[in-house]
Amino acid sequence: MRVLLVEDDADMAENLRASLAADEHEVEIARDGEQGHSMAANGGYDVIVLDRMLPKKLGVSVVRELREQGVSTPVLILSALHDEDHRVEGLNAGANDYLGKPFSTRELLARVRALWHGRDRDVQTRLQVGDLEMDLLARTVKRNGKKLDLQPREFRLLEYLMRNSGQTVTRKMLLENVWDYHFDPQTNVIDVHISRLRSKIDRDFAQSLLHTVRGSGYRLEA
Amino acid sequence: MRPSLALLRTTTFRLALAQAGVVLLFVVALLVYVYFATIGQLVADSDILADQEYAALERAYAEGGIRRLNQEVVERSASQGPLLYVLAEANGAVITGDFPQLPALPGEAVQRVDFSFETTNSEGSPQRSRARGQVGRLLNGPILLVARDLGDSAVITGRITRVLWTVAILGVILSVASGLTASWFASRRVEALANTARDVMGGDLKRRAPVRGEGDEFDELAEAINAMLDRLERLMIVSRTAGDAIAHDLRSPLTRFRQKLEAALEAPEDSRNDREALRKALEEADNLLDMFAAVLKLARVESNPNWRFERIDASEVLQELVEFYEPAAEEQGRTLRGEVAPGLVVNGEPGLFTQAVSNLVENALKYTPEGGHIDLSAVRRADGRIEIAVLDDGPGIPPADRDRVLERFVRLESARSSPGAGLGLSLVAAVARLHKGGLHLRDGLSNGEGKGLGAALVLPAAA
Repeated sequence: MRVLLVEDDADMAENLRASLAADEHEVEIARDGEQGHSMAANGGYDVIVLDRMLPKKLGVSVVRELREQGVSTPVLILSALHDEDHRVEGLNAGANDYLGKPFSTRELLARVRALWHGRDRDVQTRLQVGDLEMDLLARTVKRNGKKLDLQPREFRLLEYLMRNSGQTVTRKMLLENVWDYHFDPQTNVIDVHISRLRSKIDRDFAQSLLHTVRGSGYRLEA
Repeated sequence: MRPSLALLRTTTFRLALAQAGVVLLFVVALLVYVYFATIGQLVADSDILADQEYAALERAYAEGGIRRLNQEVVERSASQGPLLYVLAEANGAVITGDFPQLPALPGEAVQRVDFSFETTNSEGSPQRSRARGQVGRLLNGPILLVARDLGDSAVITGRITRVLWTVAILGVILSVASGLTASWFASRRVEALANTARDVMGGDLKRRAPVRGEGDEFDELAEAINAMLDRLERLMIVSRTAGDAIAHDLRSPLTRFRQKLEAALEAPEDSRNDREALRKALEEADNLLDMFAAVLKLARVESNPNWRFERIDASEVLQELVEFYEPAAEEQGRTLRGEVAPGLVVNGEPGLFTQAVSNLVENALKYTPEGGHIDLSAVRRADGRIEIAVLDDGPGIPPADRDRVLERFVRLESARSSPGAGLGLSLVAAVARLHKGGLHLRDGLSNGEGKGLGAALVLPAAA
């Protein structure tokens, strides 16, 4: 997919470009907020990755103006300040995701893919991955026609995984999207939640759907 | 000491000058009063006396003519008294009286006269004296003068006046002198305080302003300055030790980081080993970055920018945290139980509130041995505040160390081996302060040997 990267730090931009290119994206770079804004407005990108602190125009302003102009390309804001108020400000301006520096490359790649993948997810009422089905209205989950009994939080965890099926989701993404937690727990809390969910959806079936992606996170895939 | 001219600019000296002016004014007022109370009164009295005498002699003349008048004047002049008389012919030739010549000539009507004359004092030496009275022409021409000798009274008044002037000048001199002395003393004390400030600025943080123990305003000021310096010094030490601690805590992971990279570089080429070394190096780099993030977060909480507070359903947040951590605790062989009263609401920053409680839970998970218990309870206390307590049956913290562990980077020896930067509890304490609450450490759950640790986050309930 085509990614617009707006980043003023040359080293950072080159590293990110290389990583995104290695993940088979076509990357174009803008050096400041104004250039980024005009390139984004001219369209043709699948995802925009935007630094928060930019010369000439702040990342938040760029997003706000793009949204006002009707540009709906998914935007990920990168920020050295990973604080609640800045995150809320970025999301309110119209950004789709917010990632605090420092972040791992895998984290960034996972989020860029998730953004593109999930750009028109909200209209769905049914999710399906292989023989696993989720009814978002009845709030039921079935595998191979057999109803599974999930706790509310497990339901939300599975829903997020199913919406991003085929994509790697990181622990951080799960924390932020399923629990709305914006800190790093020091223990393997997420792994335990995943293994409990796995025991419910995979244990009695030959084919495993919930995979661990070593060093990155998890992927639900048929 | 500064040049003495500087003394003239001090506030104390200016006050002393004003005081000297007041003394001068007072003396002048006193002089005016003394003049009217003595000479003024004397003059008024002598005027009445002379008038009465003149009138009496006028009557004597009317009754007995010039002979009778002459006789009266001779008699009265001979008697001891302050009054002086002169009777003269119409042409001014003296007939009889106390002066050989008329000391003052009469006008058309009877008039008041004021004159000085030569006299002898009790020792026989000549002296000038003042007199005041009436002179006038009688019917058919003779001239009559009656006056009162102001003599001694005038002398005494003159002396009083001189004494008062002397007092005035002395008073002014004393005022200025005392002003100079007072301002010298004051400047010396102020100078001592200024020297203290300069020394502290120069880097001598141990320096304190001298306190004389007299309990005066300078002592009060010195004590206030010393209290301020104590606090400054403590803060300096805290930030210095924080800096030392950062450097110290960063050294170990940085050293391991370097060792891993070096080992990978020197080992024979083997991509599997290389990748493992790189993975470990990355882990160390992440630890370092986490540590920085924690320091920055703590700094942001403590410097108190405008955090957006909102109503937080604490009961719900806490229940969710228990559910979030419970599976991991169980997996690690620990029991996490939550006992959260419903309907607890606090005013705060949701992210910080959640992280603070999560830090307490993680702290308990970290230090409680396998098989241990952790209880999270939340209640509304009798005083209306909300208390969120995390109790464990781990080794606990000795009471003497409890205040210390809330300071940043402080890690007890027993905790050195486990990961962490010693910022977890500091952040909770800072978040508590930001929310106008506090973090209190006490005994936790008894475990037979130790007493465990109880960490209570006490916050005001939302209105």
